[in-house]
Amino acid sequence: MQNILSTIIFLPLGVAVVLAIFRAPLHILKAGAIFSSLGTLLLVSLLTLSFNPDIGMQFSVTAPWIVNAGITYKVGVDYLSLVLLLLITILMPLLYLYMLKEHRKGYWYNMMLLQTGVTGAVLSLDLVLFYLFWETMLLPIFVMIGKYGSGNKEYNSMKIVLMTILGSMSMLFSILYLGYVYFETTGVWSFALSDLSTLEFNAQTSIWLTAGFLLAFVIKIPLVGFHTWMAPAYGSAPTPAVVIMSAIMAKLGIYGIWRFGYGLFDNTLTYYAPTIIILALLGLIYYAIRAIKEDNLRKMFAYSSGSHLSLIALGLFLTNIYAWGGSLYFIATHALASAGIFMMIGLTYHKFKTLKISELGGIASAAPLFTFFFAFFALSIAGLPGTGGFVGELLIIIGAFKESFIIGIFTALTMLSAMVYIFWMLQRTLFGEPNDGVEYKDLTRKETLMLIPLVILLLVSGIMPSLFMPYLEPQLSIDLSTLLLSIGDIK
Amino acid sequence: MIFEFLFALPAISIIIGAIYLMLLSHNKNITLNDFNHISLFFLTIALIFEIVILDKNMSGYLFVDIFGHNFKLDAFATIFDLMFTAGAILTLLINSDYFKSRTYFRGEYFALILFSVFGMMMLSHANELVTAFIALEIASLSVYALVGFHKTKTTSSEAMMKYMILGSMTGAFFMLGTALIYGAVGSTSLENIAIYVNSTQVEDMNLLIVGASFLLVTIMFKIGAVPFHSWVVDVYYGAPYPITMFMASTFKIAIFAIALRLYITDFEPINYIWTEMLQTITILTLIGGSFLAISQTKVKRMLAGSSLVHSGYLLIGLSSIGLGSELGAAAIMFYLIAYFLSAAGSFGILSFIGSQSKRDMSYDDFKGFARRRPYMALMMSIFMLSLAGFPSTIGFLGKFYIFTSAIESGQILLAGLGIITAFISVYYYFKLIAMMYFYPDDSKQKKFPIDASTIMIALMAIIVILGGIGTSLISFFPSADTFIESAKLAISSLK
Repeated sequence: MQNILSTIIFLPLGVAVVLAIFRAPLHILKAGAIFSSLGTLLLVSLLTLSFNPDIGMQFSVTAPWIVNAGITYKVGVDYLSLVLLLLITILMPLLYLYMLKEHRKGYWYNMMLLQTGVTGAVLSLDLVLFYLFWETMLLPIFVMIGKYGSGNKEYNSMKIVLMTILGSMSMLFSILYLGYVYFETTGVWSFALSDLSTLEFNAQTSIWLTAGFLLAFVIKIPLVGFHTWMAPAYGSAPTPAVVIMSAIMAKLGIYGIWRFGYGLFDNTLTYYAPTIIILALLGLIYYAIRAIKEDNLRKMFAYSSGSHLSLIALGLFLTNIYAWGGSLYFIATHALASAGIFMMIGLTYHKFKTLKISELGGIASAAPLFTFFFAFFALSIAGLPGTGGFVGELLIIIGAFKESFIIGIFTALTMLSAMVYIFWMLQRTLFGEPNDGVEYKDLTRKETLMLIPLVILLLVSGIMPSLFMPYLEPQLSIDLSTLLLSIGDIK
Repeated sequence: MIFEFLFALPAISIIIGAIYLMLLSHNKNITLNDFNHISLFFLTIALIFEIVILDKNMSGYLFVDIFGHNFKLDAFATIFDLMFTAGAILTLLINSDYFKSRTYFRGEYFALILFSVFGMMMLSHANELVTAFIALEIASLSVYALVGFHKTKTTSSEAMMKYMILGSMTGAFFMLGTALIYGAVGSTSLENIAIYVNSTQVEDMNLLIVGASFLLVTIMFKIGAVPFHSWVVDVYYGAPYPITMFMASTFKIAIFAIALRLYITDFEPINYIWTEMLQTITILTLIGGSFLAISQTKVKRMLAGSSLVHSGYLLIGLSSIGLGSELGAAAIMFYLIAYFLSAAGSFGILSFIGSQSKRDMSYDDFKGFARRRPYMALMMSIFMLSLAGFPSTIGFLGKFYIFTSAIESGQILLAGLGIITAFISVYYYFKLIAMMYFYPDDSKQKKFPIDASTIMIALMAIIVILGGIGTSLISFFPSADTFIESAKLAISSLK
């Protein structure tokens, strides 16, 4: 049990390295990748069973790494990381199932590296270690878009890398500054989150340092104004990469604010809260309008994803228990739903050879199974009651009304606008006149198998939120009250 | 005496080798391969002795009876010697195919490389300004000749003339500076200078300060800091690939040996005087270098331009020392090691490819490279990531230390500029990775065989990774801590 977290992080990478050294043939490579994903799933299930919801950080491991610079290898898991960890490990086997026919080896290696990158970022509690994983997970995305993508892929992959690295460089600056200040106050070097969170700064410094972190996270989410990489990258990337980007990596931006933003600069974040809330509200509307106008299915859901992530960010900055609980819940359910819908879009292209809404139509009569899954995931993105997305959105909206009436109205509007573009899209793709140029094929058994777990999870989380909340609630409310206490200090 | 002889052995081995090779070079019966082996033999002997004496924490002077206090023995110089010798060995090993593919190479090439290594070793040990100047000129003159080695190629000759004329002129600045310092101190020995600096008021030291600023001009020229940079791109481009590799990875480091020795020990009490000047030069170098690198279409020129940016990072460390940073010196030393590894690797790959084809190696020529040579492309990517300062490589830790030292000394804006140029550098380094991986293979080049060159390059790539993430838990591999500790050891031996 001692090294379970390290095993979860490095199992995929280790398998990939071993396979690469022995230049494994394709079928062994596939088996290895699936083995690593199932292995981590098993380990994470074990971890979840022995997870104690009443205490904070657990299963922590600290080991010296680069001793001279005070950089340690420190990992641990709490309710927040556990949610993301579960999402990653549930999605990976499904994605491998999705890409089972993929014959390009690099694709498989990149997916394994990607899993290590995102898992490491979720679990690391040392800032340099976090930075390492944060950058590492970008490399596979860079290669997957640039090498296996479509459209203007070289340009788009360069764009996402440059914009993301701009953010992470500013974060690096803040990390170095924090480390130095810790050295100056205590005489030892450390980059551990628990050490650095004890530091006190004057307001001016704190604002700049927070900005460094926020830029990285806000670009990753992305909030409106920092979003120009999003639609091109989602449009060019192959489906597994899109799923990871939308379901996991975008959430890591939220996670970063949650863990490191509130962990290090709780007071200063309240200074930024109005800006972020306004950006998020603008984003809700802007992305919704772009989604309504968009003809490319994948880009449409990219904008829809941006809109919902703005909603999550909004919930995070409202700092009341409804909004926070809603955000956390929505992180999980939106990840499941967007993974589902992006897989469906991948299948759409695979089956019908087009992603343009205007070229599709009349799928419902020809492919009923396909229609069911497509509509289910699309509607759970829109927040259909009975699916998990509804619970999350509702909680955030309640939280927003609690904060202020105007924010509440705006937030509720997104739910309506999402309904508008989703229903309009469904009407044009699934129903209406069938396109004669397209040959309609229904889902195969394998494809159904890979989508069913997502459907079940979304339904269970929608109908019985009480099943999950006890795991999240205790520490969530403790964290929130600590935060409110420390913000209250300055008010 | 015998004990001191052990410390002189590396240099002696190399100068004997150089003279021997020079004498042999007129013999038509000896092939280039033999020359290569002979020079490698002498360099390896030197390398072995350097590793042996690195542990013997020696401080003192070499043959006091003969040279007086002119040559200093310390871990600082030994670590530099180690890098020079390793650089020369890598240059010769990686390029063992290159000179076979070109007709203009002759035996003198090897003699000149050994001579310049000898000059650099003298430079790192020099404890007296005239000695330092002679050492610098031995190294420089050899490099001038090497740059112009391709006699029939106009760019090569142009590069040589450009480099030699500008280099000699700035060499004169070094002489002038030495003369002025002699006028003030009455001696050119670094120890006497240090005593003078420590015992004199700043207001009375004008002559010395002007003299030392002249020394600085030479140093800035040699590392290619803006505004003394006009030669860099053309010379790096005009020189044959092995020479470019040797200059960028090895010769550039040698200049920092003397710069650090002067700046940290002798002018330590007054080095804050140059801080503003250094900061200005740093800003110019970082911005100018980025512009130069970003606008190139040929990979060799891009690397030449980006080597300016790396000089800029090293200068950040230098001005941090002037502002009282304790980390600064070790940061520069570590960055030098990191830069040496990554630059030698990347230029090594370029010249290795150059030995197989006569292409110009623009970005476009790298299209589909990953398909032709997957392992070579992987290693090139590792070196590019390291140069860009991507975490998990040694280049990241180098930048980590440089920027931390800048923050420590209060140069927040300079650290910010460094971060921005590091961000820009991501563009031109990643562009090469994109070219190698994202485009189909459109050329009809054949695949290359695996040989000693490939193994050396692979070794470098592994060290670059280990230097970035290697933990000290696995004791028999070099780790990040190994390099940091050797950097700290070098700096502590100076004081």
